[in-house]
Amino acid sequence: MLDKFRYFILRALRNMRQWPFLCFASILTMAVALATVATFFLVVVNIDQLATRWTKEIQVVAYLQQPPAAGDIASLTKKLKSFPEVESVTYVSPADAIQRFKKHLGSDASLLEGVDQKLLPASFELGLNPSFRNQQGISTVIEQLENTLEVDDLRYGQEWLKRFNDFIQMLRFVGIVLGGFLLLAALFIVSNTIKLTLYARRDELEIMALVGATMRFIKIPFMLEGAIQGFIGGLLSLVFLALSFIFIISRSLNSFWLTPADFELLFLTVNQQLLLVLAGVILGVLGSLSSLRRFVRI
Amino acid sequence: MIQLYNVTKKYGSDAAAAVKDLTLQISKGEFVYITGASGAGKTTFLRMLYAAEKPSRGQILIDRQNISRIRSRQVPYLRRKVGVVFQDFKLLQSRTVYENVAFALEAQGKKRYEVSKKVYQVLKEVGLEHRLQRKPLELSGGEQQRIAIARALVVDPLILLADEPSGNLDQAVTLEIMNLFKRANARGTTVLLATHDHSLNQRFPRRVLTLDQGVLVGDQSPLHM
Repeated sequence: MLDKFRYFILRALRNMRQWPFLCFASILTMAVALATVATFFLVVVNIDQLATRWTKEIQVVAYLQQPPAAGDIASLTKKLKSFPEVESVTYVSPADAIQRFKKHLGSDASLLEGVDQKLLPASFELGLNPSFRNQQGISTVIEQLENTLEVDDLRYGQEWLKRFNDFIQMLRFVGIVLGGFLLLAALFIVSNTIKLTLYARRDELEIMALVGATMRFIKIPFMLEGAIQGFIGGLLSLVFLALSFIFIISRSLNSFWLTPADFELLFLTVNQQLLLVLAGVILGVLGSLSSLRRFVRI
Repeated sequence: MIQLYNVTKKYGSDAAAAVKDLTLQISKGEFVYITGASGAGKTTFLRMLYAAEKPSRGQILIDRQNISRIRSRQVPYLRRKVGVVFQDFKLLQSRTVYENVAFALEAQGKKRYEVSKKVYQVLKEVGLEHRLQRKPLELSGGEQQRIAIARALVVDPLILLADEPSGNLDQAVTLEIMNLFKRANARGTTVLLATHDHSLNQRFPRRVLTLDQGVLVGDQSPLHM
């Protein structure tokens, strides 16, 4: 068994050495195809991530009918903070509100002189946890708020949120469609390249069948060869991807999207990198298998 | 060893039969020439014997196994009993002489030490033991055909099929090749040799099957000549 496996491995390696150009063509095609798909994936993921950051601005402001008694503020804040959706709670007293307004008015602040300090209502400003920064999360928070406080009015950027949701959905839809096309094109090109490399070796396949090699015996070295080439192709695609990340993606996103200073563009995680290499291996094996079927007729 | 009953082969339903209603028997250890003009059906006949074609009608038995409706999974095992030699040699140009011959044994899953021993032995028999590490294209046509014969013989086949094996070779080389076939036959291998070179039969008379447009028109053994 081990002896056989060793034979197949040696066989695959020898074949690759005997056909260096074909081998190189397969590896390069797979590397380029995988890198293209992965680059596209990175662009979509980063735009998505960038967009999600904007939702940091999402907050629910609850204007109260009456400012709570000074002793209750701490306990109310604590209670609000205990909602799973809520990330931060800020109490804004009427005095704070006037202060903010003054600041906003700047040199016209004198307009507010003599105005009642309690003109503006007290409010709680709730920041939400990232996973709840959507319509659903906000509805839940509002419901709980209304049960907890005497709310006069609620503000949470309804319009903005709707448009934002549409945008994200559009982005994901386009991402899936374009990504799907790209993936199909990549599969098509890779399988055709492998088909061509096998076509160049059809004599070998014919002779193998002629001397009584079983289908399994013919297949295994080619599958191994496909796996090795796919593995190398996958690694190479990571290199291409890193280059395109540094020289294309980060430059263009940084200039077009005015990324915030603390924003880190995402590269593939280690798992995703492994997945990319694995995809290369699978691509190589399946590509070889599907093409072999066309050339080996026993 | 080989039995055919009313075997007909058509390529396509409208086409004329390449082989028509062929009934014949070849015993173990026989040496048989198959002659006839080009297109007489010699190649089709041989191809059916190693299951490269299936007959449209009729039955073919090889070593008591009916191969007319053989399953693809069984074909490799049939081919291990049947060695085939072609006019164009069908060698792997990217492999050495040794690898070309060893290939047939490796395909059967033989152990490495068995393979090297056997390959060396058979290459010595065809007189190419000093060419082990050469590539086929570095050798003459006659030498290439000897590699192909070595590849066919290395697995000790019951039957050796040869389709115009000397078609590309000159007289002197043809005689060498014929001697190899004779020796294999003497060791008990059944040999079927398709050729349109009648001089072979004159120099080395054996049973002759003559095909004409797919029909068996002659079956002569030397005793009756």
